[in-house]
Amino acid sequence: MSDERDKLIAEVVEKALQGEMDAINNIEDRVTRSKAKAALAKAKRAQTADSSPQIEASITGESTAPNTLSDNPNQKVGERISEKFPDSRDGEVADTHIQLKPDQWNEIAAWLKTEEDLLFDSLQCITGIDLGENVLEARYNLHSMKHRNAIEIRIAVSRDIAQIPSIEQVWRIGDWFERETYDMYGIRFTGHRDLRRILLPEDWEGWPLRKDYEVQETYHGIMVPKVKEGWE
Amino acid sequence: MTVDNLYNWLMGFFPGITESPILLIIAILVPCLALFLFIALYALVAIYGELKVSSFMQDRVGPMGQGVGLHAGKWGLLQPVADALKLLTKEDLIPEKADKTLFIMAPFMIFIGAFIAFVAIPFGETLIIADLNIGIFYLLAVGSLAVIALILAGWSSNNKWSLYGGMRSAAQIISYEIPAGVSIVIVIMLTGTLNMQDIIKYQDGGLFNWLIFANPFTFIAFFIYFISGIAETNRTPFDIPEAESEIVGGFHTEYSGMRFAFFFLSEYANMFVVSGIASTGFLGGWQSPISGYFNTPSWGVFWMLSKIMFLVFVMMWFRWTFPRLRVDQLMNVCWKVFLPIGLLNIFGVGIWTLIFG
Amino acid sequence: MGVVHGQEMVLNIGPQHPSTHGVLRLQVKTDGEIISEIKPFIGYLHRCFEKHCENVTYEQVIPFTDRCDYLASMANNFGYVVAMEELMEIKVPERVEYIRVIMAELQRIASHLLALGTFGLDVGAFTPFLYMFRDRERILDMFEMTCGARLLYNYMWVGGLSHDLPIGFVESAFRFLDYFEPKIEEYNNILTYNKIFIERTADVGVMPADVAISYGVSGPNLRGSGVKWDIRKDEPYSIYDRFDFDVPVGIGEKGNLGDCWDRFNVRLTEMGESIKILRQALTQIPKNGDVHQTIPKKIRPPKGSIYKRTETPRGDLGFYIISDGSPIPNRLKMRSPAFTALSVLDEIGRGWMLSDVIAILGSLDIVLGEIDR
Repeated sequence: MSDERDKLIAEVVEKALQGEMDAINNIEDRVTRSKAKAALAKAKRAQTADSSPQIEASITGESTAPNTLSDNPNQKVGERISEKFPDSRDGEVADTHIQLKPDQWNEIAAWLKTEEDLLFDSLQCITGIDLGENVLEARYNLHSMKHRNAIEIRIAVSRDIAQIPSIEQVWRIGDWFERETYDMYGIRFTGHRDLRRILLPEDWEGWPLRKDYEVQETYHGIMVPKVKEGWE
Repeated sequence: MTVDNLYNWLMGFFPGITESPILLIIAILVPCLALFLFIALYALVAIYGELKVSSFMQDRVGPMGQGVGLHAGKWGLLQPVADALKLLTKEDLIPEKADKTLFIMAPFMIFIGAFIAFVAIPFGETLIIADLNIGIFYLLAVGSLAVIALILAGWSSNNKWSLYGGMRSAAQIISYEIPAGVSIVIVIMLTGTLNMQDIIKYQDGGLFNWLIFANPFTFIAFFIYFISGIAETNRTPFDIPEAESEIVGGFHTEYSGMRFAFFFLSEYANMFVVSGIASTGFLGGWQSPISGYFNTPSWGVFWMLSKIMFLVFVMMWFRWTFPRLRVDQLMNVCWKVFLPIGLLNIFGVGIWTLIFG
Repeated sequence: MGVVHGQEMVLNIGPQHPSTHGVLRLQVKTDGEIISEIKPFIGYLHRCFEKHCENVTYEQVIPFTDRCDYLASMANNFGYVVAMEELMEIKVPERVEYIRVIMAELQRIASHLLALGTFGLDVGAFTPFLYMFRDRERILDMFEMTCGARLLYNYMWVGGLSHDLPIGFVESAFRFLDYFEPKIEEYNNILTYNKIFIERTADVGVMPADVAISYGVSGPNLRGSGVKWDIRKDEPYSIYDRFDFDVPVGIGEKGNLGDCWDRFNVRLTEMGESIKILRQALTQIPKNGDVHQTIPKKIRPPKGSIYKRTETPRGDLGFYIISDGSPIPNRLKMRSPAFTALSVLDEIGRGWMLSDVIAILGSLDIVLGEIDR
């Protein structure tokens, strides 16, 4: 029984490594399936260890990779982005962040995550902000578990066309972060598979964290208490 | 035999009559009433015991008297009474969408299942309400009545959690009937009788004549029976039908007040019955552990009750020590471990009896 | 042998359920006991933290941070004041730094005790829960001694603390550590290495390292997957670089790497490391120092923004603060570790049984106050 199982696992892992994840997902037995998934993770780790010591390094904690971007990663990564994706930068160059246009964001994100010497594999936070003057901005804090670099990407959009490509499938946590930003600011993340409100009820009106937000009078017949202005 | 004795004693007052159905009914009702009171008293003791056992195991004092006006009696002795009163006075809720008839029936059924089992438990050499010649078989049979009640409760509540609880308990109790039965078969093989009193009489003569020490196979059989018994009473680590952290309370999610109290009561009653069968079958029943000493009838009652209460204590001990198994693991233990070992046990006992017996 | 597929049933776990650790609703699709999809619905405890912050001054934000992760209020205070001090470039006195670390580590132990206890409760073990509460109580007593509150402290202020340590605190902290250290062994005996507990948690809810990173999972959950990442070690803030301690990671001792048991064990081992830090901090703490010395009269951070992370018992707590030079934050975003931990539930909980999903949820140690803010 266990021999058979081992054989089966080896087979499906082989398949999955060539991109057929269904082979694993189709296994009926739960235990075998989870074992296969674990084996796959191991195999992938071994593979990446050959090509790049990405996860291996973070697992052993011996991140000895030279930190090429240590002083001012924002500027250097910004330059790399300009090289690779010309015409994607927006606004003036700054030390604290990288300002991007929304158009190519999805490709840039995927590239940032996988590029050998960048490897921003961890999306820390998406902060929405209402800058006034009809501009909404999403700020992405990225972090690389291997190189220990942190950068900040800013993407500004106007309220009328508040649309940013979704990076939900690049960093899975983007799913919920984008939903939260959408919930609070009404920025539509195009390509998000499940863009719903997350913290507020589905039928809430308005985008609460916009600066010009007006609290609705009643909600399902219940009075909505006003937020007091100007506490000091 | 209590019923017969009572009947004969009552008949003694009416020398002219040879047969009286009224007296027979009285002779039946009196022990039943006594039994009911006994179960109520036992439940109070067991609940108090559970409270205190759990408290001591968890490094706390449990219910305590604190002085005038604040207390549940000395050492919290009145706590179970207060609990009972609380349950009695609570509002009795029946969900609107529930199947009312079945919903009301279920707690009674489960209690009847537990109650009628007491009839065949021997408390002493003469102290048994009905000395059936198929006593142990009868006990196993009525023990599984509970499962019908649990399914009824789970189904009639019209609640998904209750349904889960009912389904789980059905699977669990029916499965564990089998290893329990297989272990009891060993007792029957050795004693050659289904009568409870005869099983106990077979184990006469001190500690080492008890069936648990008769041979290695009976030793194993005792543990299989006892663990299966715990599973049948839905106690931790097998409390998956009412697993509070998973399915909220399982089959009794929707029950409140007195109806809930019946489930509660029958759980304790079932513990008693399982322990009673275990002590009858394997621990010598009312026999004294030292041959020839302390063997009077009143000591017999003491031995029987102490053996039962010890096993009940062990169940409580388990409950406050172990985590809960998952439903498939529970089935694995039953079908892949207990049943094969139980069957091997039967075989082993047969061989053993052939060689040594 | 084929698998019988029954009709799928949609089941609501929560909002009121004993094991959702607050008001969380999981809409699960079940096929018998097997769960095929989990959809978490959050927001039942949403108290508009970020909206409030835009309407109160910087000092007044601190009590709100208390109420986000109400089981680790000290750590939340700490995260916020560290971010604010970096933004305002305040250097606080040594004694303040030491007291903050002591409080944060005591809080870590208290929070882990609750996490482990409730996890035990989720898999049906009642007694360890009360053992852990017994010990947590002593930590809360020490907090009460320090600042008068037992749950929501408002203790750390920007640039200082609300109170100095009371007389006798250091001694009582040492007494607590001497008492507590052997207790970890007791927990191991009653729960960690219990056969049934291992059966229930090992190999259940396996979270591979890459999944964990992609979902932004952090703290003990991430370390349970074998990633050695601890902000106290890797991006030291406050004075954590002075202490000698290890970062325990899961090694897949009882099953696959990253299962519930690993996450549980990481938390348990981490308490021992916190004890190490506490012993060093309590020995090294300067005897004198004014904890109010550097508290600014008026908090008006310069124009700009900062994203600062700290390690709370639940993981990376980030504060993104945007200041426009006024005494009121222009925008304050809290990146809560439990939020990310909950988002991974669907990924690792699919295909397991109902009981397992409860165990996985317990092992992620979520606090709804922090998820919903």
